[in-house]
Amino acid sequence: MAFLEVDNITKDFGGLVANNHISFSIDEGEIVGLIGPNGAGKTTLFNCIVGYHKPDSGKVIFRGKDITGLKPHDTNRAGIGRTFQVMKVTTGMTVLENVMVGAFCRVDEREQARKKALALLGFMGIEKIKDFHLNELPVAMQRKVGLARALATNPVLLMLDEVASGLNPKEIEEIVEFMRVINSEKKITLFIIEHIMEMVMKVSQRVIVLDYGEKIAEGLPADIVKNENVIKAYLGEKYAQSH
Amino acid sequence: MEAIKDALNFSDFSRAERISLIIFSLFLLIFPLLGAGSFTKTVMIQFLLFSLFGMGWNTIGGYGGQVELGKAQYVGIGAYTVALMMVWWKIPFWFSMPVGVLIALGYSFIIGYPLFRLKGHYFAIATICTSLVLKDIFDNWTLVGAAKGIELPIHEHPDFVYMQFKSDTYYYYFIMVLFYIGLFYMNWFRKSKLGYQLRMIKDDEDAAESLGIDIRWCKIKAYSIASAFVAVGGGFMAVYNLYIDPTSVMELSLSIKIALMAMLGGAASLWGPIIGAAFLVPLDRFLGSWLGGYKGLIGVDFMIYAALIMVVSAYQPRGIWGIIEQLRKRGS
Amino acid sequence: MLIIDALLQGILMGLLFALVALGLTIIFGVMDIVNFAHGEFLMLGMYTVYWTSLFLNIDPLLALPASAIMGILLGLASYYCFIRYLLRGPAIAQLFGTFGLMLFLQYFAMFLFKTDYRMVEKGLLVGKSLSVGPFIFDWTKIAAGLLSLISFIVVFYFINMTKTGKALQATALNKEAASYMGIKTDRMNALAWAIGGGTVGVAGGLLVNFYYAYPMVGILFVMIAFACVALGGFGSIKGVFFAGLLIGILEMVFPVFGQLVGSDFLGPHFKVTIIYLAYFIIVVVRPQGLFGWRQ
Repeated sequence: MAFLEVDNITKDFGGLVANNHISFSIDEGEIVGLIGPNGAGKTTLFNCIVGYHKPDSGKVIFRGKDITGLKPHDTNRAGIGRTFQVMKVTTGMTVLENVMVGAFCRVDEREQARKKALALLGFMGIEKIKDFHLNELPVAMQRKVGLARALATNPVLLMLDEVASGLNPKEIEEIVEFMRVINSEKKITLFIIEHIMEMVMKVSQRVIVLDYGEKIAEGLPADIVKNENVIKAYLGEKYAQSH
Repeated sequence: MEAIKDALNFSDFSRAERISLIIFSLFLLIFPLLGAGSFTKTVMIQFLLFSLFGMGWNTIGGYGGQVELGKAQYVGIGAYTVALMMVWWKIPFWFSMPVGVLIALGYSFIIGYPLFRLKGHYFAIATICTSLVLKDIFDNWTLVGAAKGIELPIHEHPDFVYMQFKSDTYYYYFIMVLFYIGLFYMNWFRKSKLGYQLRMIKDDEDAAESLGIDIRWCKIKAYSIASAFVAVGGGFMAVYNLYIDPTSVMELSLSIKIALMAMLGGAASLWGPIIGAAFLVPLDRFLGSWLGGYKGLIGVDFMIYAALIMVVSAYQPRGIWGIIEQLRKRGS
Repeated sequence: MLIIDALLQGILMGLLFALVALGLTIIFGVMDIVNFAHGEFLMLGMYTVYWTSLFLNIDPLLALPASAIMGILLGLASYYCFIRYLLRGPAIAQLFGTFGLMLFLQYFAMFLFKTDYRMVEKGLLVGKSLSVGPFIFDWTKIAAGLLSLISFIVVFYFINMTKTGKALQATALNKEAASYMGIKTDRMNALAWAIGGGTVGVAGGLLVNFYYAYPMVGILFVMIAFACVALGGFGSIKGVFFAGLLIGILEMVFPVFGQLVGSDFLGPHFKVTIIYLAYFIIVVVRPQGLFGWRQ
């Protein structure tokens, strides 16, 4: 049985079909990329799986359990973590406190949560910034905090929404490396939305392509770049030219 | 055990704050011995009472960031439970006050469940509405004295069981004890799991949900804690004033004062409600007694009060504590 | 028969309520701010007509422009001197801010006018009534209903048909996009406050013909206005019109209903309570308003 199975999901925002009968599945331990032009319905699909939106029809099965329509905090408890493309840059809590809140998902004691949060910050190499507030940090750091926060909830499936956008090549390199580590060491399945082609192709074992709310292709990265539909829809000039 | 340690542990505050707390506590302890007049004593009792209210509000309003403007209904529930049980069945304060708190808790869950489907302005206005509905009911319900209110029977001799004393000093020490219980509780609360989760909710609700936090349930819990706090204060008001009516314990202006004091002092900080109450209660009282005496100046005291609210909201929404912290940052 | 009478009276009151709530919903729509002081604008409108008609010895209806001008000036002054600064802060500060404004105006009125209850006593329509078959209507209420309707239509026309009105709507829809299109949003905000103040000033001027003015009168009407705005869908102008009518009818029919049933708890004391309750139920069950015109 598939780890995550998305079966015929449709989401319609008053006439604007953001997701149209989308089905696919992800196996445990995979890294799967989700790509598509702006407005293709990628984030909507994420939100339907995690529970920010309730799909109009279709089912989401996670580890054999039907999680369709569950609230985000319930899907998180079931083991799905996610990060946001745009993080609210808040001033209320420090980095450490942010990650502790994630840890509180699984533990009740403050000291335990603190230890876990510190360990995670160490794992990501950002202990230095633990007392900063999010608004005082550069984007790359904010992204890492978002990741650490999500990891602190002990997810088995982590969904990353454009975690590399706005970062410089060196920072992207770091994030990619980091994704490989959490996938191989922490055994966390990754499902990523990405705009930066080079990155998706490098890190994903499989890629799903959306366009205008429809799934137009699915396959190995090497095949996807050669897929005509995909080239037409999205990669178009930019990627095809450079290869 | 761990919780008690947390409640008594102020070590994460600066030295200046801890020393201030000690001096302030000493002052509170010896205040009745300083020979202050009855007016000043009343002001001090009001100050402690409103600090307690403000601390309660701070859970949902400060840490949780929800604009809650209906706390008066829980003051009313606490006060009416104590008063009615005393008048009807002669049940002592020590029994009726916890009952009042339980009723407030139960009621807050019932109200909180639909209430926390709402956000922002919708929520703020709805809290006012629920409070006013309850007040209207009590205003017209003859069984509970309607708008005339209830007078508590006066005992000839001071009576600890019924919390009736001749001297304000006893009431002073009693509310002081409640004040410290509240303070310690809040000191624990801000470090508790719920405290952290509420702050996350205030910062970013979507992110909070993605971290496994059941937002609505967390808010309801905080709202109920706030309600319980406020009901304790309401019970105290009944035995202290010996007379309650819907206007004195359930009016909108009371809800506003509670929220305002916490906000003026600095929401989401342990000291905020205390600072706010220390500022506003005397201001309210002294302005009233000074200006109220002059004919032709009716209303001026509240105009000053209102102008203050306006200035703070426009220029320093983080309150007095916000100003202090800013100065401190600049200093260091 | 009682019910039909209440229904007709309710419609007249409802037209007035709609006018009261109009300004609130426009301000909310354009700036996403809840103006607690709205009821005090109404109260000052009432006093304006009262004093103008008394001092100039003119009919209260002729004093209406004075209340409109007062309302517009008050709205503009509130915006430029206060609300503009409030906008920088968090939502909670905005709520408290307009609340402070409300208290300030209340006690300012108390300072100026004391707590006496005042109502227009002399005037063309005051004390006269129209009987149609079994029904009796006060002329002052008929005038209030009709003039409210006319004022509402004028504002509706202004917002939907003129260029400035459309700019206002654009600002309400999307502030950022509007500012890219060259609309000065600061001006639009001020305009919203001017319209809000002006309309509610007129409503107050109409109200004082048959309702007592006193410094605390505002809170009752602002709660009614909140209920109308919620029922109509926050920010919806069409919605607030029908919501006003509904609330007006509800307020009049409810006590009659209680009388018929003979229950104390459905009595006239609770005709305002039912409005609070209505608000609560509306926003919980249908936060988009009864008509759902606003997305």
